[in-house]
Formats: sequence, C-alpha cells, structure tokens
Amino acid sequence: MNGGEPTDPAAAPSARSDPGASAGLGASDVATERRSQTARVLERVLAGGSAVTAFIPLAALVAMLVVLVVQALPAIRYNGWHFLVGSAWNPGSTYSQPVRSGGIVHLPGASYGALPLVLGTLETSAIALLIGFPVAVGAAVFIVEKLPPVLAGFVGLCLETLAGIPSVVFGLWGVLTFGPWLARHVYPALAHLPNVPVLDVFHGNTGYGEGLLTGGIVLSAMIIPLVAATTRDLLRQVPEATKEGAEALGMTSAEVFRTVQFRWVRTGVIGAAILGLGRALGETVAVALVTGSVLQSATNIYGTTTTIAATIVSQLDTAQGDPTGLYVRVLAEAALVLMAITLLVNVVARRIVHRASRGVALPVGVGF
Amino acid sequence: MSSSARTRSAAGTAWPAVMGANDVTIGFGAATVMSDITVEFPAGTVTALVGPSGSGKTTFLRSLNRMNDKVRNFWLRGQISLDGVDINGPAVDPLVLRRRVGMVFQRPNPFPMSIQDNIVAGVKAHKMAKRSELRDIAETQLAEVGLWSAVADRLDDSPFRLSGGQQQLLCLARALAVKPEVLLLDEPTSSLDPRSTEAVEELVRRLTPDLTVIIVTHNLEQARRLSDSTIFFYEGRLVETGPTVDLFERPQRPETARYLGGAVNPGADR
Repeated sequence: MNGGEPTDPAAAPSARSDPGASAGLGASDVATERRSQTARVLERVLAGGSAVTAFIPLAALVAMLVVLVVQALPAIRYNGWHFLVGSAWNPGSTYSQPVRSGGIVHLPGASYGALPLVLGTLETSAIALLIGFPVAVGAAVFIVEKLPPVLAGFVGLCLETLAGIPSVVFGLWGVLTFGPWLARHVYPALAHLPNVPVLDVFHGNTGYGEGLLTGGIVLSAMIIPLVAATTRDLLRQVPEATKEGAEALGMTSAEVFRTVQFRWVRTGVIGAAILGLGRALGETVAVALVTGSVLQSATNIYGTTTTIAATIVSQLDTAQGDPTGLYVRVLAEAALVLMAITLLVNVVARRIVHRASRGVALPVGVGF
Repeated sequence: MSSSARTRSAAGTAWPAVMGANDVTIGFGAATVMSDITVEFPAGTVTALVGPSGSGKTTFLRSLNRMNDKVRNFWLRGQISLDGVDINGPAVDPLVLRRRVGMVFQRPNPFPMSIQDNIVAGVKAHKMAKRSELRDIAETQLAEVGLWSAVADRLDDSPFRLSGGQQQLLCLARALAVKPEVLLLDEPTSSLDPRSTEAVEELVRRLTPDLTVIIVTHNLEQARRLSDSTIFFYEGRLVETGPTVDLFERPQRPETARYLGGAVNPGADR
C-alpha cells in the first residue's frame, strides 16, 4: 500500500481500498491518507474568498479617492489656494452667460473660499469632543465600578439605544427643542461667567440656539454613546487578578483604578474617541439643522456657522442648478478636504496614542 | 540571607510579625466554609497550608489581609490578629493592613505599566519614598528577587514580554517593595515551570527570618522543602498542624496520612 506515488491524489482511494489498510484503525498510512476532495476544495474557496473580501475596503477607499479627485480637479484648478484661506462663498450670477477663465467655464463672479466651513467643522467637533469625552468616560466608569449589575445592564441598554438613534432625530430635537431651551436658560448664564481667559469665550450675543455651541453639544450627544459603550466594554475586560494585585498592595479604589484599569483601557478609549471624532467631523444632517447652516464663520461661540458635510448636503441641490457644473465640483473638492482632515486627525491621534503607551504592550487587543 | 537582612533593617520599618487565628469561622451567606480555626504563624517562619481543593485554604489565606471584604455575603467570626491586634477591629485600616501583610497570587499579575513602575507602584501609593529614590528602590527590589541582571537594561519596557517565572518574581518584588511584615503566597508556583519554581522557592527561603511567610500549595514536596510548619485543612476544618517534619513523618490523624499518601479523598475510610 505504500508503493503508490504519495503526492498523487489518485493514489489515495486505491490505497484505502487495499485490504491491508482496512484491516484496522492503525493501518491508515500517513503518507497517502487524505481528507475528502470536498473538504479541500472548500478550504481553498474559503481562503480565496477571505483574501478577496480583505481587499474590498482598500479598493473602495482607492476608488472613492480617485473619483473625488477626478471630480474635484477643475474646482481645484479654478479655486487654487483661495479655497483653503478665503472666506467668501459666491456661486456667481446664475442669470449671466458663463465665462471662461484659465480653461475653466464658470459663472461670472463665482468665488469659493471654504475657510468658514473648515473652521466650523473643526470647532463643532472640538466642542463635541471636549464635552462628550469626559462625560462618556465618566459614565462608563460609573457603570462598571459603581452600579449594581441589574442597573448597569439597563443603563447599558439605554446607551446602545442612544447609539442607534438616527442623527436626523438628534438634529430635529436640537433645532426645535434643545437649542431654544439652551438659548433661553443656559447661554445667558454662561455669558455672565467671569471675564477671564478661557471663560471669556462665552461672552457675547447668545443668539437663538442655532450655532456653534449648540452644534457641538448635539454632536457630543452622538459621541457619548459610542465612547461610553466602548470604554465600558474595555473596562469589563480588565482581569480581576490584576485589580486584586493592586488591592493587595493596599491601594485605595481610586489608586487601583489609576494603576490598573486606566492604563489597561487607555489606548482603546482614545481609539474610541478618534472614532467619535470621525463621526463628529463627518456628521451631516444634525449639524446642518442645528448650526444654522450659514456659509460664514461664527462671530462668537453662539454664532451661526456651518460645516463641510452640512454644506455639501444643503448646497447640493443649488449646485446642480449651476449650468457650468463647477459648483458640484467645488463640493467634491470640499469632500476631499473633509477626507483629508479626517485622515490627518486619525494619523495624529494614533501618533499620540503610540507615544503615550511608550511601547508598554497590553496582553489584550485594544484600539488598533 | 544576611545581605537582605541588612537592607531590610536599614530601611528601619520591617520586622516579621506574628499572625494568629483564634476560633475563626468563615462563610458566605448561609454556607459555612471554614470552622473553628485556631492557629499561630510564628514570626519569621514559613507556614504551609495544604489540603485538597475546596478545603478552604485560599479562603482562609485571603482572610488574613481582608481580601474577602469585598466578596458578597462574606462573613467571619472569631479573631485574626497581627501582632496581637484584631485585624478586623474598628481601628484597623485595611489599606494599611495590606501594606503590612502582602500577597502574591497564583498567576503572575503585572500591572500594565513599565517594569520599574510595577515595582514602585505600592511605594508610590503609600508615599514611602521620594520620586528621586524610585529608581534605586526598583533596582534594590529587583536585585533582591534575583531579576536585576535580566531586566537592568529594560526597566522602561513592558513586563508582559518577560517569561511567566520572571513575571512572578516581578510580582514578588512588587509585594516586597512596600516592606511587608507578613507575606501571603497563594500557590505562587502553580503556573510556573520547574526552573522558575526553584527560583521562587529559593527567594522565599532567603526572605525568612526577616519576614513571616504563609504559603498555600498543592505541591506537597514544596511544602516539605520550604516550610517550618504545615497546616492540613480538610473540608473546612483544621485537621492537623505541627512542625513540617513531624507532620510529614508522623502524621497523627488518619486523614493526614491518607492525604500525604496521595489519596484524592482522604476522608474515605478504606
């Protein structure tokens, strides 16, 4: 039975039909015995399939970038650096004849400076993170460390439900109820904070509840469930044995937390914050509703403004009415800038995380 | 070992302390886990707690530094004393108690911070040294457990890249850094290879008589090698206690003899 060519699959069935081989369990030959053909085919299909699926995200990213760049190219050539440093946003006169300058056909007077959009995007997201991150982490710590299990489960369920609410619902609530309420009851008090550095940003005309601060607060409500749920899950993964090690040294529960839990979850929590920031930067409908969607920079923290994403969604209809097609291309350029910002934030944040952890590797897979 | 004796007394804080249990009964809720335990752990000696799984050794050990306090429905009657003071008394701060009565666990449990930060974590919490002294303390403690030469050039590295045995020595160094008077070891070598086990045992031998050591072990040979006296627990009761040599050579109770003889169920008469 061992006379056949071992690498020839055809030899396997004949070897198995050999009376000597079927005599007992110990008689199978490791050189010729094979798993069935189907098992091996399935194995190959799975391996090939998973390789293909692994490349889908990459392909999608590349395709998206290419399409955006191709779409935006005329706008990039027309706007130049003005797009990033200019503040005037004027699609030009729709009722005039299109003119051509620098090889690009455009409406007379068309000028696109996206600085207010970029600033509005960064400002609302920064406010959202400043408010949302501490609240989310605090909530997660409280849920894991202090709440009795039944209550923790219930609060956790609320968090997950909150994470699943469509952002347009947040936006509608923000613009109809929450924003006006803030403007009536909270902002006037903020405006009377002491006139010292940092706190003095709250001085000025408090407006009607649509603007930068309202946008940031509504965005933070969307970040909180994401960061809180991730932080909670990470905290639950911290091994009891490691916590006991700290307790056995006579540490207070706060010291145990600083020594063990905090360091254990740090990278993962920052990763969650980056995800949250990504959501805030790209959030569209809610922000379009609560920031006022005005194509200008906010005059103060309460002032109306807009963001890149909000502008794209609110201006697309108008843009498609531009007979020269330039406005749509300008929005593609804006989308490209948004992608660049998101990417930059990601890279910088990962750098920070990497440096903060100083190579002290954790035994659990965290963050990235 | 005399060199370690000098280091410890130079610090001027640590003396080995006497621990004792007087008529202690322990339980969780309606269940009684250990009853009527009366025993003394003389200063500067090693005492081994042996017995089959579920005999209550670890529960008893964890009562000695009040690690059971946070366990739901835990209760304890009787008195556990450290240098004559009831450790469950109203005047005793469990955090100070745990500094004086250190503990090392079954599996190495380094903190997710650098090797040096691991060693001085307790020292920092109890404010036992200035910031500038921390590196020296780390070096001293690592040298004491025999780990210094292995990690001298990677104090800022992760402890998780060390071998299991090295991690356990690190945990021992961490526990010793706060100058405990009693050290509780809960099967400290059960997850280690023979070579690392030997290193831990050698360290324990070196630590006495400057420290009182109480060790739970499933390894009877280890108890025999390491301890001055041995306590045999069975089904929540203290069956027999005495000098290790006597207990192993001339067990007085049939359960002890059967357990030392390798019986899985020493209660069964056969």
